[in-house]
Amino acid sequence: MKKILVIDDAATVRMYYRQVLEAEGFAVEEAGNGYEGLEKALTEAFDLYIVDINMPKMDGYTLLRTIRQEPTICATPAIMISTEGQIQDANAAYAAGANLYFNKPVRPESLITTARLLTGEHRA
Amino acid sequence: MTLIKKHDATGDAPREFRHQSRDRAGLLCQLEADAPEQRRWAALDLAAFSDAADALCDRLEQETQTPVREAILTSLIQIGGNPVVCGLMPLLRSEDAALRNQVIEALQQLPEAVSPYIERMLADDDADYRIFAINVLANLRHPQAPAWLQDVIERDDNINACAAAVDGLAEIGTPEAIPALTALPERFADDPFMQFCTQTAIRRIQGHGA
Amino acid sequence: MNAPVPLAITEEEFQKFRDFFYRKTGIHFEENKRYFVDKRLIDRILATNNTSFRNYFVMLRFETSGKELQQLINIMTVNETYFFREEYQFTCLVNSVLNEIVTRKRPSEPIRIWSLPSSSGEEPYSLAIYLLEYWPRVDDYAIELIASDIDTTMLEKARQGRYDQRSVAHLPPPLLRKYFTALYDGSYQINDDLRQSVDFTQVNLSDLAQMRAYRDFDVVFCRNLLIYFDDTSRRIAAETLFNALNPGGFICLGHSESMSRITPLFKVRKFPEAIIYQKPR
Repeated sequence: MKKILVIDDAATVRMYYRQVLEAEGFAVEEAGNGYEGLEKALTEAFDLYIVDINMPKMDGYTLLRTIRQEPTICATPAIMISTEGQIQDANAAYAAGANLYFNKPVRPESLITTARLLTGEHRA
Repeated sequence: MTLIKKHDATGDAPREFRHQSRDRAGLLCQLEADAPEQRRWAALDLAAFSDAADALCDRLEQETQTPVREAILTSLIQIGGNPVVCGLMPLLRSEDAALRNQVIEALQQLPEAVSPYIERMLADDDADYRIFAINVLANLRHPQAPAWLQDVIERDDNINACAAAVDGLAEIGTPEAIPALTALPERFADDPFMQFCTQTAIRRIQGHGA
Repeated sequence: MNAPVPLAITEEEFQKFRDFFYRKTGIHFEENKRYFVDKRLIDRILATNNTSFRNYFVMLRFETSGKELQQLINIMTVNETYFFREEYQFTCLVNSVLNEIVTRKRPSEPIRIWSLPSSSGEEPYSLAIYLLEYWPRVDDYAIELIASDIDTTMLEKARQGRYDQRSVAHLPPPLLRKYFTALYDGSYQINDDLRQSVDFTQVNLSDLAQMRAYRDFDVVFCRNLLIYFDDTSRRIAAETLFNALNPGGFICLGHSESMSRITPLFKVRKFPEAIIYQKPR
C-alpha cells in the first residue's frame, strides 16, 4: 500500500485529502506544519508528500528545499497545493522542488490521478 | 572519573559584543551590525524599549536570517500595542513565505492590539492578504473572532478565503454560524471540498453527527 | 439541588478537542485513547465549574493566560522522573551526538552538558552514569555537567541524591550497586563522586537577563518543560536555549514534545536512535 504524508495546517483540508485518498487505497499520515512534516518524513518512508505553502514554524517552500537536500528522502515526489494562483507561485513551487503544483481547492479526481501517477500506483 | 565539576556554571567569561553599550541608541546601532549574532542580541535586548517597535519592524523587513527574525518577533510580541501591529501588517504582503508566516504567528499573540485592524484587513482587495488575515483570526484569542469568521463566509467571494474561515469555524464557530455555513457550498457551485469542510464545521459546532 | 447530569463527550467533541490539542502541542490522540481523554476532559470540565464541553472549550480556547491549557497538558501527559527515563536519548548521545561534537573540539576544550529542569536530580545523574559507563571516549575529554531548576527545594533534594526504590527501578542492578549505597530505610544514596560531578544551579528560563550568563553548551537536555509554558514564555525560553548553545550544539526534548510547536530556530537531525534538534552551525 502506498503511503502519503499530507502536510497542511488546516485540519479540514487534511481530513479531506485523507478521505479522498484512503477511499482509493492509499495510506495517509498527517502533519500540521512544515517542521512536523520534516520530522515525520525523516522518521518514516513515504511514497508522496502533499504540501501546503503557508504554514506556521516552517512554510512549504522551506520544507521542500530541505527535503530535496536530505539524501534519504530527496527523491520522494511532492505535490504542492496552495491558495496562491499566480504563475510565479507555481514557478516558486517547482524551484523549491515540487513535482506538481495545484491551486486550492483541488478537485478530488485530480488529486487521485496525480497521486497514482507520482507513486507509480497504476490501478484501474 | 573525568567528569569535572566547575564552580562557574555559566561558561567562559562573557565575550559579548561590547562595541556598543546596551542603551537604546547603542542597541539600535547594533541592530544594523554585519554579524547576525550581534543583530540578534540587539533585537532581544530592545524588548525593554517600547519605542523601538518601528526600528525592529524596519529591520525585520530586510532581515534574511531566521534567528534574527525570530528574536525581533519575540521582542515585538513583548512590546505589543498598536505600533507593533501597524508595523507588522504590511509584511503580510511580503514575497517571502517564511516571513509572512512568522508575522501571522506573531500577530496571533497580540489579540487586543490586532483587533481594531481586523475589519480593514478582511476588506482588502487582495485575496491572499485576506486569507492571511483569516489565518491570524483563526488562532486569535479574541471573543469576536467567531463573528468575524462568520462575516467572511457571508461576504467574501473567494473560495479559499471562505474555506480558511470555515476551517477556523470548525474550532471556534457558534450555532449562529450554521445557517451561513449551510448556504455556503451553493455559492461555489457545490465544490466537493467546500461541501466537505462546511459539513465538518457544522458537525463540530453542533457537537454531534448530523 | 438536582443531581448533576452525567457529562459525556460526543465523538464530534472529541475530534474538535483532538484537533485543537494537536495544533497546540503536536500530541495526537488515537481513537483508542478516547476513554483516557474523555475522562480527563470531564474532570477538568467539572473542576472549572463548567456544565458542558461546549462552555469549557470556549474557555479553554479563548483564555488569554493559557492556564487551563497548561492544566490539561499536565493531566494528559505523564510527567515523572526516574533514572534512565527515555534512555534512547542517552544512547543517542553516546553513540552519535558526542562523537559529532568532539570532531569540532580541541583536546583541552571541555564538553558542556546542561540538564534542565533537573528536578530532583535523576536526569543529570543518569547522564553522568551513562557517560561514564557507555561513552568509550569519556576519559579523553573533560566534561562539565550543569543541572538547573527554578525550584530551590528540588535543587536541595538533587544535591543530597537520595532516592526511593521507584526512582532507581530502571537502572541495571550492577550500576545500582556501583553508584549507590542501599540505606536501611529502603532508599538509595548516590555516591559522592557522582554528586560532585554535577553542578546544581537555580535558574528561571524566562529571564533573559539571568540566562545571558548560561552559554557555551554543547548539549542541552530540556525534557518536559517547554510543553507546560504559555506561548510567549515558550518563545522566550526557546530564544534563551538557542543563546545558550554553541553553534552546532544539540537539544533534546521530552518524548511527547515536538519542536514543531515551539520554534523554527533549530534544525531537525535524525539519528538512528532519536530525533534531536541542532542549532545551525
